[in-house]
Amino acid sequence: MPHVMISRKKCTGCHMCELACSAYHEGAYRPSVARLYSECNPTTTEIKGHTCLQTGCAKCQQVCPNDAIVTKRITVKPKGFFESKEKVGESVEGFVLVVDEEKCTNCGECYEVCPTGVIHEHPDREVAFKCDLCDGEPQCIAFCQNKYVYAVDLKVDKKDKTLVVAAGEAGA
Amino acid sequence: MDFYQGKVLRLDLSTGTSTVEPLNMEWAERYIGGKGLLLRYMWEEIPPGLDPWSEDNPVFLVTGPFAGTNVSTSSRLIVGCKSPVTGVLNDSYVGGSFAPELKFAGYDLVIIKGRAPEPTVVTIKDDVVSFLPAQPKYWGMKTSAIEQALRDDFDENAKVLSIGPAGEQKIPWACVSTDQYHKAGRGGHGALLGDKNLKAVAVRGTGSVTVGDAKAFLADLWRMHDEYVLTDDNYWVHEEGTPVLVDLVNGAGAFPTRNWSEGEFEDAGNINSESFQKIRIKKRACYQCAIACRNVHSVELDGKTVMGEGPEYETIALCGANCGIGDIAALVKFNELCDEWGMDTISSGSVLGLAMDLTEKGIKDFGVRFGEVEGYLAAPELMATRTGIGDELALGSKHLAEKYGVPELAMEVKNLELPGYDPRGTFGMSLSYSTSDRGGCHMRSYPVGDEIITGDEPADTMEGKAAYNINGQNFSSMKYLGIWCDFWAIDLNQMSQLFKHVWKRDVTEEELALAGERVWNLGRLFNLREGMTAADDYLPELLLTKPHKRGPSAGRLIGKETFAEKTQEYYALRGWDGNGVPTEDKLAELGVDVRL
Repeated sequence: MPHVMISRKKCTGCHMCELACSAYHEGAYRPSVARLYSECNPTTTEIKGHTCLQTGCAKCQQVCPNDAIVTKRITVKPKGFFESKEKVGESVEGFVLVVDEEKCTNCGECYEVCPTGVIHEHPDREVAFKCDLCDGEPQCIAFCQNKYVYAVDLKVDKKDKTLVVAAGEAGA
Repeated sequence: MDFYQGKVLRLDLSTGTSTVEPLNMEWAERYIGGKGLLLRYMWEEIPPGLDPWSEDNPVFLVTGPFAGTNVSTSSRLIVGCKSPVTGVLNDSYVGGSFAPELKFAGYDLVIIKGRAPEPTVVTIKDDVVSFLPAQPKYWGMKTSAIEQALRDDFDENAKVLSIGPAGEQKIPWACVSTDQYHKAGRGGHGALLGDKNLKAVAVRGTGSVTVGDAKAFLADLWRMHDEYVLTDDNYWVHEEGTPVLVDLVNGAGAFPTRNWSEGEFEDAGNINSESFQKIRIKKRACYQCAIACRNVHSVELDGKTVMGEGPEYETIALCGANCGIGDIAALVKFNELCDEWGMDTISSGSVLGLAMDLTEKGIKDFGVRFGEVEGYLAAPELMATRTGIGDELALGSKHLAEKYGVPELAMEVKNLELPGYDPRGTFGMSLSYSTSDRGGCHMRSYPVGDEIITGDEPADTMEGKAAYNINGQNFSSMKYLGIWCDFWAIDLNQMSQLFKHVWKRDVTEEELALAGERVWNLGRLFNLREGMTAADDYLPELLLTKPHKRGPSAGRLIGKETFAEKTQEYYALRGWDGNGVPTEDKLAELGVDVRL
């Protein structure tokens, strides 16, 4: 299933992905509310990427007492080039985990279990927020634009651990 | 207003208090941001003729309208002040991530005044500003340690601006550091912060920078990066970065070697881009920069691994060739030491090269000689702590050379040491240095670009160089309103496309060009008001009168007369009088809103 990964070897620590992510989702630049992040130590220059593994992980969905993390069908067609493009093709059909804000009570169960630390309470609304692959055109991939870098990549794995399927969806 | 936060944060160190006031939007319209806002605020905030060491002399931290967005290369912060070294304006630029974080915390500008009674650290988390004692823990720390300590103690995501021990000792070329390897290097801001007892400012911002229609802005930016930034013409910046200049400048006989006594360094091949690529382990970027020019190097020195970003070209020139050092491992180590102690490498290498020259000439034995690694690597700590030879070296090039009766050996303009281009190999740089508004600097106009890099301009004539430098200065002034790094080779048309998003109207190239010239003239007025005269637009005489004996630039000379003529031509083309004072007509034409 499609998800985004940041290569710790390739990432230069420019944070363009976080900026674009926040602008797309929040309507303003606010990287503290980005759906992914690159953890950079300026002194050691070590980097660790934090991204949502979507249905291949689904720990948030498994612990949610309100079925608020739902599996939604998506076609991911990134803008621009990315490292795995030749492998995964122009577009990928699959599923993504999104927050149903009607059902989410901000109980925080998912915040505790997320292994990559990318689901949090939204600072303005009392609900969780997470990566939704930008409705199919991930801005993080688009803005990792340097052909010598291409650190933000679209990966597709076969694992699927989802349980809760959005209304009208089948076969997840 | 989109792109601006509309707020200025004032820190009063004397009282340990902070206040927030609205950004002067009238000035923001006229002077846009960055350098323009800095100079307009400096004009207002600094009483004319103020002693730079006065506690009333403010240090400014200034952002640009595009900091905190996806606009590539524009995360730059200006650390500005009336320099305690030059006595004139100083705008020093630094990348890294501090400026965007400051915007996310809600501020366009910080004005730091007063002097703390005890060493202090300031933390800013959005609207919560705290003044904390820097002793016993933080005072005395090197730059990597203070950054990590404040990330541990204050906020793991904090961005830290700090001084090293050199700043605490008020070394004239003490710099301001951020993200460890990024330095607002020149003009002694670090010394001024040390004098103010301010060790560091740590900021964490969780707010937003608005841009209007964010999705439309993203789409337009993606296109601009694709068309203008990440192009085959521009990728050299990523693939090589500034070390690419070594072979070019050395090949032109403009590579300062052994205290500027030669223009070509025989060991340049050991410290050129090819050599640095062999020890490069990764590439790093400033915040919001798609290019990623920075090189992380790793070398073995005496059985130990030395790892860090840089050195960049100017460091290679001044701390390498100018000290006769062709040992790449020693050079990487020297750069790391300057970073850690918190010193500008241009001035460090320049002063040390002078000390080596004085030693070699038998004028004064400082125990350091060209090409000798041991004394060379011992020097940064001595300079930063004013111990041993460091106490005298801390005078800086000008005063050290004067002390020993050889002022002609000091390579400085307005008491700021010259960067890595010898005007005997690139004539245009003579006026670039002499007329630079902050003293010896290559970042205001850059004739090297066409005299050496493209070869489009002849390097051995002064014809046309007054106009060339004026164009360069006006353009860089505009660019420093943005604030774009030089590595986006941006033009006025591209800037106008970006400012259309800011001002929500069509923007002409002409109005942007005019803004650049307006700001340059405002800077000139400030410098004149602070006591600078045309006599300060000098170049070290030796560069005009003593030709190199060998190398590609051998025998070439500008000459004092030609230089004086071209200085007058420069003033005339600028619309300034013979004393370098902007005329009323010029100021009115440009819309400068202050007068002497």
